[in-house]
Amino acid sequence: MTETVFNSDAGVSRALELLRSANTRLVSIFGSSDPGSSNDNRARRVHYLIEVNGHEYRMISAPVTGSIPSATEITPAAAWYERELHDQYGIECDGHPDPRPLLFHENWPENVHPMIDDVSHVPWAEGQYHFLRVQGDGVCEVPVGPIHAGIIEPGHFRFSVVGDTVLHLELRHFYTHKGTEKLFENAPVMDGVMIAESVSGDNCFSHAVAYSQAIENALAIPVPPRAQAIRLIGLELERMIAHIADVGALCGDVGFSVPAAYTARIKESLLQASTRFFGTRFWRGMAVPGGVTRDLSAAETGEFGAMVTAAARDFARMARLILHTSSVQNRFESTGILTAEIARQLAVVGPAARASGIRMDVRRDHPSGRYRNLNVDVPQYKYGDVLARARIRIDETAISTGLILETLKDLPAGSILAPVPSSGNAEALSAVESPRGELLYWVRIRDGKIARCHIKSPSFQNWPALPLAMPGNIIADFPLINKSFNLSYSGCDR
Amino acid sequence: MIGDAVERSLRSPQVLIPVGELLSNAAGSRMPDVQPDLLTSEVARRVVAACPTSALKVDKVDDSAGREYLVLNYGDCIACSRCIAAGSGAFRYAERLARCGVGKEGLVRRWDIQSRAEVVQDEPALSQAAEQIRSLVGRALNIRQVDAGSCNGCEAEIVALTNPYYDLERFGIHFVASPKHADMLLVTGPVTRNMAVALKNAYDAVPSPKLVVAVGACGCRGGIFGGSYAVVGPVDAVIPVDGYIPGCPPTPKMLLTGILQVLRCSPSHSRRP
Repeated sequence: MTETVFNSDAGVSRALELLRSANTRLVSIFGSSDPGSSNDNRARRVHYLIEVNGHEYRMISAPVTGSIPSATEITPAAAWYERELHDQYGIECDGHPDPRPLLFHENWPENVHPMIDDVSHVPWAEGQYHFLRVQGDGVCEVPVGPIHAGIIEPGHFRFSVVGDTVLHLELRHFYTHKGTEKLFENAPVMDGVMIAESVSGDNCFSHAVAYSQAIENALAIPVPPRAQAIRLIGLELERMIAHIADVGALCGDVGFSVPAAYTARIKESLLQASTRFFGTRFWRGMAVPGGVTRDLSAAETGEFGAMVTAAARDFARMARLILHTSSVQNRFESTGILTAEIARQLAVVGPAARASGIRMDVRRDHPSGRYRNLNVDVPQYKYGDVLARARIRIDETAISTGLILETLKDLPAGSILAPVPSSGNAEALSAVESPRGELLYWVRIRDGKIARCHIKSPSFQNWPALPLAMPGNIIADFPLINKSFNLSYSGCDR
Repeated sequence: MIGDAVERSLRSPQVLIPVGELLSNAAGSRMPDVQPDLLTSEVARRVVAACPTSALKVDKVDDSAGREYLVLNYGDCIACSRCIAAGSGAFRYAERLARCGVGKEGLVRRWDIQSRAEVVQDEPALSQAAEQIRSLVGRALNIRQVDAGSCNGCEAEIVALTNPYYDLERFGIHFVASPKHADMLLVTGPVTRNMAVALKNAYDAVPSPKLVVAVGACGCRGGIFGGSYAVVGPVDAVIPVDGYIPGCPPTPKMLLTGILQVLRCSPSHSRRP
């Protein structure tokens, strides 16, 4: 990553100029307290993280004195980031088309910004939230959530429908907002990883690795090659588990229960293999700054590889059945289309981007750790429908299996953990391709403690795209379309 | 094609875990257990210092003997395993953990450091609601799961309860879509500011008698999110709780143990192994 630090608001103009130019993608916008002005603890900076030419991260940061011009007109992907910037830091973005609070609901008083204000006793407020009203003959509103029918995280969906057909969907999220970025403040670097693991529980290992790599980049800690290899195995296993479960859940949503039950069984077999060899089902506690906490013996390597191979073979067989079943094709095909154009405008990442014709993958475009030594195939489909998103997951499960087996075959010798200094002042970025897509951690360390940690989660990026895949579909297909994106609520809300 | 799949599925070996292997099994949870014979004041002090939450502490009793007790509150434990690294053998991963589906006091264990023995407490009485529900519904139980702000780790494990290994339905237990159909609320997460009202509404919608089970470190005691501006507190800060299932996240075996424990449903009466 290259960073350009400005000392005036010329930095904001420079960032907007860069976003206007071709071959750039908005990765994140976030704020921080200005470490330069110690006499004013309300002094703030804004950071623009932009990808250039598909393989270079550039960060532009500038101090904020008054308000800043909004980037949303240039790239709609900026909309939620700027609303979050206002909620956290009270930074106004001039010309923002939708300046409603994002993280906070009616219970939160206006003008309390947790990253710069005292939030030890925030009074309860009352207010009303205004959804966009769709009017006309026969238009009905269907409110769904925050508590949903299944075992799912909370969020609110407001459908405007005519008959069964959805005209408009508005999301209202952040029911699980836990103030996570604030919790990182003052945490010793070794403790921060526990918070990172609880950002999105089903992708906890990706979060732990992304956080740990950010710390390692900042403090220049050389991670032993064996630890990097074990991390790769964990990341790919997490992807396999997530993708297998998603494909099964898609079958469940179209009433095809045999593959739904069978994939649940395959997923459980992988979780039990993790328990057997690593003592943890979801690899919690495995990644820490400096490396990993548990090694794999030579004998275990073979057994673990055999279990992964068996799971992948069973899944491949089941996937063939799913794709060749006409009732599944009928429900998956042309349902919930996200066009490439909208995906680009909203800077969509991960499997959803690859299913809409955008070939991107952090493992290939910004490789770190063991991925530098490997070639990662990046599959791509152009239709952007539920079927394309299912196919991407099926293809990637096979690719992940290959990466795990290749790494197991050639595990470097040596230690698995490097020492981490308990002091230091630095800033760094780290990127990981989590099962849901590009996941970034940016950390600022002061005296060995976290002063600021920003998490760019793929779910935060992709949620705004879901409503744009809905219009024209029937409301009964919503669970299926929603599942095909399978975004994390907690990862988004943080 | 579908016929092939069904046939193959029927031919594949059974993976259902027998009840005896499920109950109180804590493998893979990374929760700690104590080897009292290796416990010393020095070890106790070290593990308390290593614990990132307040799960471990040393209680000094103010009597002439000046006895010291090591107190472990499983409700606060986020299964980070630092005590195991710092405990020089006195702490290890729990193979079995019966403290699932217990009352608040049941989450706490105490060891007398001088005599190196656990202080055993009386089992708390069954809650009145549990008695009533058991007499009303027998072994059939309808559960409405509510995520009040969880990281979704607990949800991932609750979903696993329905897979062919655990098969919750063999106990007559079902997940239902509406709180109005439910006998029990299974609540995860630290209750966030934004979910507090929805959780209270869901609780009010469940017909009486009803049971509430708080799940996970966050649901039991707030977990690592306890001090956040956006969090109201653990589940019992908003609605009354009958049983607690600790863990970060609790494994499906711990969840099942906890749910059955709250009901005190005798597993020997279940229909399948």
